[in-house]
Amino acid sequence: MWLDFPIYASVAILCWLAASGLFLSSGKKLMNQMAAGLSFAGTAFLLVFITILWLHIQRPPMRTLGETRLWYAIFLSGIGLVSYLRWKYKWLVSYSLGLAIVFLIINLQHPETYDKTLMPALQSSWFIPHVIVYIFAYAMLGASSLVALRNLFFAPTEKIVKGPIQMADNLVYLGFSFLTFGLLFGALWAKEAWGHYWTWDPKETWAFITWMFYLVYIHYRFRHPSEHKRAMTILAVSFAILLICWFGVNYLPSAQNSVHIYSE
Amino acid sequence: MVLRVAAFPWNLVAGLVFLALLISAFVLWQKHQVMKWLGGVKAALPAILGFTFLVLLMGFVKQDVEPKSALVKLLGLTHLVKTWPFILINLYLMILLGVVTLKRLTPFSLKNAGFFLNHFGLFLVLFSTALGSSDMQRLRMNCYEDQTEWRAVDTSGKTVELPIAIKLLNFNIDEFRPKVTIIDNKTGQIELNKGKNQFELLDRNALDLFGYQIEVEQFLESSGKVGDAYFPVNEPGSAPSAKVKVTKDGTEISGWVCSGSYVNQPEALKLNETHSLVMLPAEPRKFSSELNINTKSGKNIVTTIEVNRPYKIEGWTIYQLSYNTEMGRWSNLSVLELVRDPWLPVVYFGIFLMMAGAAFLFITGKPKNGGTEHVA
Repeated sequence: MWLDFPIYASVAILCWLAASGLFLSSGKKLMNQMAAGLSFAGTAFLLVFITILWLHIQRPPMRTLGETRLWYAIFLSGIGLVSYLRWKYKWLVSYSLGLAIVFLIINLQHPETYDKTLMPALQSSWFIPHVIVYIFAYAMLGASSLVALRNLFFAPTEKIVKGPIQMADNLVYLGFSFLTFGLLFGALWAKEAWGHYWTWDPKETWAFITWMFYLVYIHYRFRHPSEHKRAMTILAVSFAILLICWFGVNYLPSAQNSVHIYSE
Repeated sequence: MVLRVAAFPWNLVAGLVFLALLISAFVLWQKHQVMKWLGGVKAALPAILGFTFLVLLMGFVKQDVEPKSALVKLLGLTHLVKTWPFILINLYLMILLGVVTLKRLTPFSLKNAGFFLNHFGLFLVLFSTALGSSDMQRLRMNCYEDQTEWRAVDTSGKTVELPIAIKLLNFNIDEFRPKVTIIDNKTGQIELNKGKNQFELLDRNALDLFGYQIEVEQFLESSGKVGDAYFPVNEPGSAPSAKVKVTKDGTEISGWVCSGSYVNQPEALKLNETHSLVMLPAEPRKFSSELNINTKSGKNIVTTIEVNRPYKIEGWTIYQLSYNTEMGRWSNLSVLELVRDPWLPVVYFGIFLMMAGAAFLFITGKPKNGGTEHVA
């Protein structure tokens, strides 16, 4: 089934590239609508792929890193589009599509093999909500870090920064609420599967660190509401921590024998 | 999880004293500079940063292992949750969360609901896990088929006698079909199949692996070897096997592959000078134990537990933990975990408050006017 992935991925990438081009090049309403349509079409294509994949492997496609990257690309492109419709920031949707394309390209570079087996610990009604909520949070927070990077490197004056920082806050609050749900779902599931809700397993530790970093951002914004640059730096660093939690934990010496690392 | 205090009832007493001190200090010195500071974001930020720093250390240093150097041992880096800085910062966070909750409760306003849920929820989780940790028991019990067991081993290796006796009536494993793969004859290593499947599940009759066309002529879930062939057998140690026909570039080879077991040798099929086809041991889809549970109070229950489906009885939760993995489906041993956690309802209450708080964050988003409204 993953053999067909390059076809779906290429179509999605082409749709998104065209959408980004249209968004960035023209200010005409019709062009923007076309761009939004193309952006949606790319996401829809991937949704079709993941549905067929799900049916084919007979288990939720949420076990491997490649599978989570696929969900991420879907959510991120969707969030980019929705926040465009909501706030009309064209650059954000283009950045989100760009990041989603990067994730698809990583998947094309590391072709996925499917594995139908699913170990008993993952066979739980918590599995789907836990992973989906997390990847959705990651996508929200990824979008917020795009705002942060733009503010840090492409918007030198405080004046330009003002509007987007509110959007960054909004994205962080939405992302953080999902992150909290993901963390707590994980705790409830762990109690059901392993007898304890929190064992400081490396993945848990890093998920908690990620949660704490965004907590720092939220409180920092209240403490120093006008120090935008530093707030944006915190946001960018927080996303780096999030990526360690997502991909990096597999390689950390502290994580050998962890009960839940994604399989490659 | 965090603070270590004496077991019941002393932890309850300590908790009540802590709450009483916190509330009376707040009532007495509500207007005092220090109390105002403790309830503000000025105090919260360094506390969060300090805690984050300690947890970051845990993220990089492997926990619960023997310390490798004297310095690591001295600093307690491998057992960070048991070190004083960790315990003190937890206590400090609880004080801050307590004060800030009380501050927002007086005067009571519905606008502060989200704030209250987030902060008090977290307070409750920290508070109850700290106090409850000494009342929590996690025991391991080895149950052999048709034997009654009432002794279990705790995390420090001490044997504990339980008020419940468990007889393992039957241990059962449901397996996936085994996978096949190609190995290099010289190295014995699995061949890497770049971009394609390295393994194939034997759940259909025709497979393509590394350009080899594999046709499954016969699959036996449980078999034994007699002469050169395998026959259906159902006795301890029998293993899955398959008769396959493999074609590549016009050459055809047929024969048996078997994954082997703790009794029988595995069987590979040599395809040519470089490659052989092998069958891997089947992976468990589900494992479960049928138990007969007797309690001191006279209850007698027959039930089946499996991973993710524990059974609760008289304050104990019985989990399916493991089995003799070497024997696989023929294991006559089922390892159970028994957990008693009387503070769990309080922890869960805290967790549900936090969830409600997260829902608030989602609905209301970032509060305006410097956060005096809504959530944070």
